[in-house]
Amino acid sequence: MAFLMYGDPKVKYLCSCGSMKPISRIYFCRHCMKIKCGFCVSHEVDLHYCSNCLENLPSTEARLKKNRCGYCFDCPSCQISLNTRAVSQAVPNPDDPSKMLSKKSYYLVCAFCRWTSREASIPDQNVANGGWPEIDCPNSKRVAELVDHYQEISLQEKDEEERKKKYQVRPSYFHYAEKYGLSAALAKKRMGGTPQRETRTQQSALVPAVASEEVEELSDSVFIEQLELNKVTTIKQRLASPEIQPTVVSQLYPLHKSLLVKRSLRCRDCEHNVSKPEFNPSSTKFKIQLSAFYHVPDVKFLTCEPVFIGKRSELIITVCNPTQHQSSFKMHPFELNLGAKGSGDAEESAPGLKLCLPECARDAQFKINGTIKLPTTEFQLLPRDDTAEFDDSNKGPTFNDDPKVVVWRRGNKIALRMAVSPDADAEGVLSIGFVIEYSYVNTMTTLEKKEPQKVKLKTHILLRPGPIFKSSQ
Amino acid sequence: MELENVYYNKGDFVETASGNKVCRHTVLCGSQNIILHGKAIVQQDAIIRGDLANVRSGRYCIISRGVVLRPPFKKFSKGVAFFPLQIGDHVFFGEGSVVNAAVIGNYVYIGKNCIIGRRCVLKDCCYIADNTVLAPETTVPAFAHVAGSPGAAVAELPECTPDLMTEFTKSFYQHFVPHALC
Repeated sequence: MAFLMYGDPKVKYLCSCGSMKPISRIYFCRHCMKIKCGFCVSHEVDLHYCSNCLENLPSTEARLKKNRCGYCFDCPSCQISLNTRAVSQAVPNPDDPSKMLSKKSYYLVCAFCRWTSREASIPDQNVANGGWPEIDCPNSKRVAELVDHYQEISLQEKDEEERKKKYQVRPSYFHYAEKYGLSAALAKKRMGGTPQRETRTQQSALVPAVASEEVEELSDSVFIEQLELNKVTTIKQRLASPEIQPTVVSQLYPLHKSLLVKRSLRCRDCEHNVSKPEFNPSSTKFKIQLSAFYHVPDVKFLTCEPVFIGKRSELIITVCNPTQHQSSFKMHPFELNLGAKGSGDAEESAPGLKLCLPECARDAQFKINGTIKLPTTEFQLLPRDDTAEFDDSNKGPTFNDDPKVVVWRRGNKIALRMAVSPDADAEGVLSIGFVIEYSYVNTMTTLEKKEPQKVKLKTHILLRPGPIFKSSQ
Repeated sequence: MELENVYYNKGDFVETASGNKVCRHTVLCGSQNIILHGKAIVQQDAIIRGDLANVRSGRYCIISRGVVLRPPFKKFSKGVAFFPLQIGDHVFFGEGSVVNAAVIGNYVYIGKNCIIGRRCVLKDCCYIADNTVLAPETTVPAFAHVAGSPGAAVAELPECTPDLMTEFTKSFYQHFVPHALC
């Protein structure tokens, strides 16, 4: 049922950047009226939160804590969340040693692999949350020195570059600044207007690392003692804690849980948001939500007869109008040279954006090895009506549909019958495409246009109904 | 992909006024403690342990064959206590899954043969892939796709998941129809 989350693998939409995506993974920018996908929008981190305690942290604090939660831990052995378990112990009363008091102490335990913090010889704690001793990373001082040094260098370089480009159009560096943790410094400078020519202090003296050829000799125990594989950590366990890289199981130490992020997505052409989540980590609502699922006709695959070479098969698809406005659509044949042209357009409109797919992969995904007989008439689709399911009166307008083409109509959905036939030399999976031209009512008000405007938009759709069989036997 | 019709024998199912369809070949222990809020489907061989604690499910909750819903317990120094099991709207349980969670949010999809450990909290809009084993007391955040044993988040769900799940459970309910002959 993976289609539920990743969309129907049989129906793909063409994004304006040239990649094919299922409808659940694409966005529709209402300002530039284009389909965008995760590859061609800019991603911005809105908030950091811990997936276990669902607490959110401001980005500066998250950076200070190395993007990890201060209270929750992951099991060093199997990398899932650790639980705190309480035990009560009887301890002698300090006032009256003859009496015993029950005292609660806490330790961490993995409910899956049964690893406990006692195995790492961490003493039990008196409080349930926090207070766990941190392990000292042997290279922390050196790493901090290096980070400082490179931050200084990158700031300096940025400064020089800006000085050079003073009278040119400056691209936004915010993206990189965020990456290297410089946004605060940069923002301060931007706020100050003209960058101040403060003389930078000379770079702090950094002792360069020296390579040495001498390697410590292995101790005799390595050759003599029997290796117990149960006590050696796996690669996954070592990589999970890169700062200490434990080699034996007894060195495993609880790992602070990595934070998750909520992102807002922004169209790169018009810089409007296409998705902006609410601030609450466990909320599933959005302040701005321009998923294509709510704007573009949803084409779904209903049935298809087995496909044989030299034979026509019947294909039934459904088209659904997800918008609140009546819509009409018409189907056109898939243009073969579209792959190169469509992606070319995208590149022209967004210079510097050539990341999506290599040329060969792009062409391969547009490979069409069959023909589809498309209906020539225009179809009307009713608006989406959430109350329709409670209304049994069935009093909708009737349409003069050709029963040969239209299988049924239900509310805002229509099922269409079409004939497909593979090419004579086709093999593998049948791949056919068409262009759907649909009317879209844009309710965005701009300065020039206050009224909702009706526009005609085109979207390219690829269908992969199923495997092609050689003969009809 | 549009769902295909699933046919059942009319005699095997009881349909309540609120639209719940419950198979007769199920084990519903302590049925007075089980609340199905309407349009729920409980398919054959499912077990709901209402005798341990309350089980409440929202609308359009689909419980497939062989699913076991069992309220979670917690150990205290003086014995154990069972806690109610809350299930939101538009939740799908795949065949053969065993669910011990404390809270399951809205729009949750649980695949086939999953084990949801004791006192897990599944937030709204999460997806548990087939054959996942979730350790006890795990929290699954919203929009997480969890897979593997032990279950770990492997991907993120699309923003329109609530509507995808609504459409899926509603169309499952619509396509769950009695045989024409019965």
